[in-house]
Amino acid sequence: MSAAIDVRQARTPAARYRHSLWLLTARDLKVRYSTSFLGYFWSILDPLVMAGIYWFVFTVIFQRGVGHEPYIVFLISALLPWTWFNGSISDATRAFTREAKLIRSTKIPRTIWVARLVLSKGIEFLASIPVIAVFAIISEFTATPAKLQWGALLFPLAIIMQAVLTLGVGLIVAPLVVFFRDLERAVKLALRFLFYASPIVYGIADLHKHPSLEFWAAFNPLSGIFSLYRAAFFPQELRWFDVGVSAVLCLVVLGIGILVFRRTIHAVLKEI
Amino acid sequence: MTETVMGVSTAVRPVIEVTDAGIRFRRNRLSRRNFKDLFAGSARRTRADEFWALRHVSFSVAPGEAIGVVGRNGQGKSTLLKLVAEVMLPDDGSVQVRDGVAPLIEITGGFVDDLSVRDNVYLTAGLHGMKNQEIAERFDEIIEFAEIGDFLDTPYKHLSSGMRVRIAFAVISRLEEPILLVDEVLAVGDKAFKEKCYRRIEEMLEGGRTMFFVSHNEKDLRRFCTRGLYLDKGALVLDASIDEVLDRYDADYGTP
Repeated sequence: MSAAIDVRQARTPAARYRHSLWLLTARDLKVRYSTSFLGYFWSILDPLVMAGIYWFVFTVIFQRGVGHEPYIVFLISALLPWTWFNGSISDATRAFTREAKLIRSTKIPRTIWVARLVLSKGIEFLASIPVIAVFAIISEFTATPAKLQWGALLFPLAIIMQAVLTLGVGLIVAPLVVFFRDLERAVKLALRFLFYASPIVYGIADLHKHPSLEFWAAFNPLSGIFSLYRAAFFPQELRWFDVGVSAVLCLVVLGIGILVFRRTIHAVLKEI
Repeated sequence: MTETVMGVSTAVRPVIEVTDAGIRFRRNRLSRRNFKDLFAGSARRTRADEFWALRHVSFSVAPGEAIGVVGRNGQGKSTLLKLVAEVMLPDDGSVQVRDGVAPLIEITGGFVDDLSVRDNVYLTAGLHGMKNQEIAERFDEIIEFAEIGDFLDTPYKHLSSGMRVRIAFAVISRLEEPILLVDEVLAVGDKAFKEKCYRRIEEMLEGGRTMFFVSHNEKDLRRFCTRGLYLDKGALVLDASIDEVLDRYDADYGTP
């Protein structure tokens, strides 16, 4: 053992960023799965219960079930990505306050504190995709089987767009909550509104009775993203106009996010 | 991070360079803030409810120097340390640190309650830039130094507060970074461990490290440091040898 300084090969900033991001993401997942017995199950239980409720309300009570068959697959294919978005953004409201001690003692690039939330929730989302497959296979034995379409190839595009959007919103929300604590509640409320404002329990096509709504709905970036996810089983849900608008908006939101984050980070570090 | 650190070439450029740095805080945490405030980028104005914790501070540190920061409570010592650690960013001027830093500031901050000691060591060392293989090589030594061998798989939250500090110090002081920042962490722990920490710091200084040390303890300051920085009311009042700085401090504030 010597106290002399070893010559260590320096890493590039990008490699360090990836390394730190991965460490924190792995830590998040490890903490979550080592402290609860059901671990993985919990991360899919929430969307499953919600899907069960909506399925029951809409197909059993209201006997709606026109067009989107099987409705349970239709629901879950948007509910799971929604769970990713929803979870990341609500965690982003506490991104700085929960890790204050660690942030005060390490100088890793600050965007990691938000990016790690998007990544860990994203990994949980990927791990929950088999649930869609399970329901699709089950539907094979019913009157309305789900048919896998070429649109399934659009899944990666949807994931990338959603990651960009979620990161962008997170970068805006996380620092602002430090200054305006009320924002935490406002965000919760906005998320609940957004849930119904996005095509999750319904489809984009359901809006065509209200032409003006249909046009403006495209400016919810989640519409385009969910339409890409659903293209795997429901080709009529794929709207390239919505996808295009959404892609532009995702980049704009990320741009604004980076800008807000840069301008506020000085003050955030003093505040926490 | 080359051999120049070892003093091969003496006309080296400074490892730490603080130029006209300033940082301001709000006096009242609850005072109103609006969006306009937040995005008004200019660092020049001081609003009524703000004060400069540090202002117009300039100095540079050559590799291998051991610097003690002296001043009364609330005169900006810890803030200066945080600026050098780059966990806070100056509103004015610039702080440049050209080498890796091992910050003994809030050392237990990176540890996660629910994870085991082993996982925590890998996590904290990794966040400070160590590779898994490097950590594995030093792992036994870290554990031995912390005297914590029986608790490797115990969740961190079940450790006593003394053990927590010991393991944290053991990890951070093994980071092999050329710059060491110490912020009175050593006030904790029993006497024997404190002495052990001090020996480790001395060893590291002999190994050519640069140190930045904040303390109220005159004996410790004289033991480790060669140069002193005296901060008063947010300004750098004196930058001289540690003895000179301590004498001036005593003269100003009459501590025996």
